[in-house]
Amino acid sequence: MASTPMMPPRASTIARRGWRPRRLAGAIIASGLGAAALAGFAIGAAGPRPAPPDEVAGMPVPAGAARPGARLVPGAPPTRPGARDPAAPDILWRLNNPAGVIIPESRANPIAVADKFAARVAAMEERALLRAFEGAPPVIPHPIAGLNVETCRACHAQGLTAGDSVARMVSHTWLVACTQCHVEATSPIGDGAAMPGNDFVGLRASGYGGTRAWGGAPPVIPHTLFMRTNCVSCHGEHGYDGWRPDHLSRTNCVQCHTPAAGFEQLSPTFGQPEPSPWLRDALGALP
Amino acid sequence: MLTVDRRAFLKASAMAAATAAASGASRAIALPVLEPRDGAPLRWQKAPCRFCGTGCHVMVGTENGRVVAIQGDQKADVNRGLLCVKGYHVGLALYGRDRLTTPLLRRDGRMVPIAWDEAIDIIARRIMADPKRFSFYGSGQWTIPEGYAANKFVKAGLGTNLIDANPRLCMASAVTGFLSTYGVDEPPGVYDDLDACDVAIMWGNNMAEMHPVLFSRLVDRRTRGEKVTIIDMTTRRTRTSDLADHVLYFRPHGDLAIANGIAHLLIRSGTWDRAFVEKHCNFRQLGAAPDERTAPAMLGVPMTFEEYARAVEPYTPEKVAELSGVSAADIRMLAELFGRRDIRINSLWCMGMNQHTRGTAINCLVHGIHLLSGHFGRPGDASTSLTGQPSACGTAREVGTLCHLLPGGLMAANPEHRKIAEGHWNLEEGRLSGTIGHHAVELFRRFNTPTAEGGDISTIWVQVTNPGQTMPHLNRNFRPKRDLDDRFLIVSDVYPTATTELADLILPSSMWVEKNGMYGNSERRTQQWFRMVMPPGDARDDCWQTIAVSRRLLELGHAGMKDRDGKWLFHTTDSGGREVPIWSWEHYYDVNVDERLFNEYRAFSRHKHKDLAPYAEYVKARGLRWPVVQHADGSWHETRWRFSGFDDPYVERGREFQFYHSVSGDDRALIWFRPHEFPPEMPDDEYPFWLCTGRVLEHWHTGTMTQRIPQLHRAMPKAYAELNREDAARLGIRSGDMVTIRSRRGELDLPAWIGGRGDPRPGDVFVPFFDEAKLINLVTLDAYDPYSRQPDYKKCAVAIERRA
Repeated sequence: MASTPMMPPRASTIARRGWRPRRLAGAIIASGLGAAALAGFAIGAAGPRPAPPDEVAGMPVPAGAARPGARLVPGAPPTRPGARDPAAPDILWRLNNPAGVIIPESRANPIAVADKFAARVAAMEERALLRAFEGAPPVIPHPIAGLNVETCRACHAQGLTAGDSVARMVSHTWLVACTQCHVEATSPIGDGAAMPGNDFVGLRASGYGGTRAWGGAPPVIPHTLFMRTNCVSCHGEHGYDGWRPDHLSRTNCVQCHTPAAGFEQLSPTFGQPEPSPWLRDALGALP
Repeated sequence: MLTVDRRAFLKASAMAAATAAASGASRAIALPVLEPRDGAPLRWQKAPCRFCGTGCHVMVGTENGRVVAIQGDQKADVNRGLLCVKGYHVGLALYGRDRLTTPLLRRDGRMVPIAWDEAIDIIARRIMADPKRFSFYGSGQWTIPEGYAANKFVKAGLGTNLIDANPRLCMASAVTGFLSTYGVDEPPGVYDDLDACDVAIMWGNNMAEMHPVLFSRLVDRRTRGEKVTIIDMTTRRTRTSDLADHVLYFRPHGDLAIANGIAHLLIRSGTWDRAFVEKHCNFRQLGAAPDERTAPAMLGVPMTFEEYARAVEPYTPEKVAELSGVSAADIRMLAELFGRRDIRINSLWCMGMNQHTRGTAINCLVHGIHLLSGHFGRPGDASTSLTGQPSACGTAREVGTLCHLLPGGLMAANPEHRKIAEGHWNLEEGRLSGTIGHHAVELFRRFNTPTAEGGDISTIWVQVTNPGQTMPHLNRNFRPKRDLDDRFLIVSDVYPTATTELADLILPSSMWVEKNGMYGNSERRTQQWFRMVMPPGDARDDCWQTIAVSRRLLELGHAGMKDRDGKWLFHTTDSGGREVPIWSWEHYYDVNVDERLFNEYRAFSRHKHKDLAPYAEYVKARGLRWPVVQHADGSWHETRWRFSGFDDPYVERGREFQFYHSVSGDDRALIWFRPHEFPPEMPDDEYPFWLCTGRVLEHWHTGTMTQRIPQLHRAMPKAYAELNREDAARLGIRSGDMVTIRSRRGELDLPAWIGGRGDPRPGDVFVPFFDEAKLINLVTLDAYDPYSRQPDYKKCAVAIERRA
């Protein structure tokens, strides 16, 4: 965490910082995409539609944005002989799920994001500023006066966007002792003694989203659902630019998006102890 | 990330082994690299959290040999997936930039790196020269095997009881409270009581900051529509008060009067539980003291119910209000709650009741009102002490790394118990000493007193703790060593601390998931984890350090390092019966030393019905609460409510309750009368304020780990003096002003904080003790409870002035 500046800039600064460097490159990709999508729409569902950049092999990835997050999700199933090209769109699925037709992104997404690709990366960077690793509780980037949960709820219960600042909706509303996990990024009592620093390097997700079984398949959820069951916290109106779906009207997210097993603790294989010489020694004959 | 299921993986390794065998390789490949499906080596494994005694389990994400992420463990009963801010950041504790990585020896006033062999040899020779003036000083952060090895080393090897540990500063009064009441240590209740109680009473306990995950377990019930009444009895407003239904402010030391006031009303109104008491309880009080300087015997003398009723008679609500500062109406409210049979009450405490010069007394009194009112032993009805360290229970209390104990709750002073221990350790009769060693404060006092004046401890080996910051009255109990040339302080630690500052030899240690380990939490839960990453540089396990010194002593000819058959105390063999040279670090992990030591120690756990399961059971579980007993089908089962017939397998069939370690020998628990007394030092004209020290959410104990975690350090960067607004106004002090806090023993400058994290009552000041740069223990008093020998860090008299 030592390399990450700890003084959180204001939310607006964070958003801008994440955005700018990649806006140009992203815009080019996005405009290309937009054109392709439009063309695809015009000729019905007949033509091949390019998959979004995040799941296409060989797609250039912006400099500095390595894809460590890819490890968070299981890979695509192996291609069997005779199987369809995984990159080809599933026409039937598109026809049956014309979410983009019901609510065009421009209406579903009040903050229009021209450049989803760059925005996703920016969102991860914004998150990383407040987190030791992906999955850590974020620090609070503003002073907190009251200690009562109601003071937190005033903004975070429903989410709030005020000017450049965004208060995201809490995703674990049954927990009321907010300050148990979330501490202020800076203390009201000023600085303490300088400490020697810390070389921890936290897990980072790429923010490109979950992998898909094939081009048009719904992506899996690239993170745990534990304490993150309220999808709109991050994917709704007051969520992150670039993370909003083009089908916000649909509310049963897990109908189509399933959690990736890699983070899901209740999966029976998660977190088994490493079979080591000591374990074998201790357990004797293994089952 | 284990996306490979275990069975498949094992099959794969079996195949790898078979392939290796087929290809003529002489040894099967033991450890194929895990290749999760997406090709990433991120792996998750279970471990208990490194910090407090709650005993949350975390899932540790490791990648390329480093910890990269932490999740709350959803399969853990204790925390059910949730952690506190310290727990989420526990992985960062390994990576502070100033980790100790090589042994360092003080030569001509400077610390110089030396080799491990030399370091081990220096310690061994120092002990060999004068074994009776050597003492170990350990910790409730020692893993169970580490504590067991150190205990065996001192008691079986050196034939002394010169070992004590920091739970003396932390849990000792809870121990004497349990012993005096039930005849055996550790809580009858469990955390499940938090889920079942109707009323939770905090006895001077800021649970929201000290045991946040347990506090959430309580308050989150409200979100589910359940009603739980929280009563916060406190000397200052804290985050716990913010979520409490009733906040009852009491004067420091007023808790004794409150407990007696409740007993008084229960009896006067006839709402005590006559049926429960007549069947399951006896009454007791302290007898006469043998002389003026010695306290009466801890286990006291019997008294009748009538005598007890007369003893609590003076504690009318009005009298208690006068003594404690809590209103008579609130005392009546408490007594009415205890008088009801239709609700379940859970009393909870931590340092407020334990760091108390009458700690044993207040522990007994709180157990007593639960027994008197029958609020015992049914889910939700419990009096439970919460532990500060991850293995204060598992290691110090159960393994018995204290100067008066042997493993498994056996007492060093008891010849029968020594005989049992000599049997387990295969020692000739009479090897173990019946002379108890020195408790923590006494130990450091002797170490810091010149030999000519009776200071008869010349060498202390400190592991996993920081007495240079935590000893009360540091100017007497730690710092004088600096000028005593014949004293030698050995410190095994992971970072430089206030203790290493005065060390003569520093040994770099592995920590947490850099080694195998086992802990035991506040609710009798024994936990296990495996090494996941390697320690930095030349850092090595504390347990290995102890074993290596023992081996060196054996080589030097110390007879105590052998058992009665001439075998080394830590003789370890592989599955083929060949000796494994575990004294050599290169071979230490050839076998699982933890498993060997634990299974040896397990034999001790039967004597006091604290039965532990075999090591392998803990590998599979997220901890198991003892007694863990085996059923006819071979499966192992933990126990939740001790002494309750419906759950405890050691209660005779058909009995509702049975206190089978009863002090009075008749299966009954003791209801104690202990009077209200005033503390040894109280504010006066010269020192008009009460000083209370304590902790904050972000930092764990002396902050050596948490201050190196940027998120925590920035949220709470330094110690402060928390003042009451009226006092501050009167003294002309504003938030941020520097103030001097001065006692008869020392002084310290701190920034004032008014209306901050907490809010003391007029006349009180609170200072957290985590900050190495602001050692409040220069100011504190080193008076202690006469039975537990636990110091009182919560009360002393100080003066406060604004610095110009």
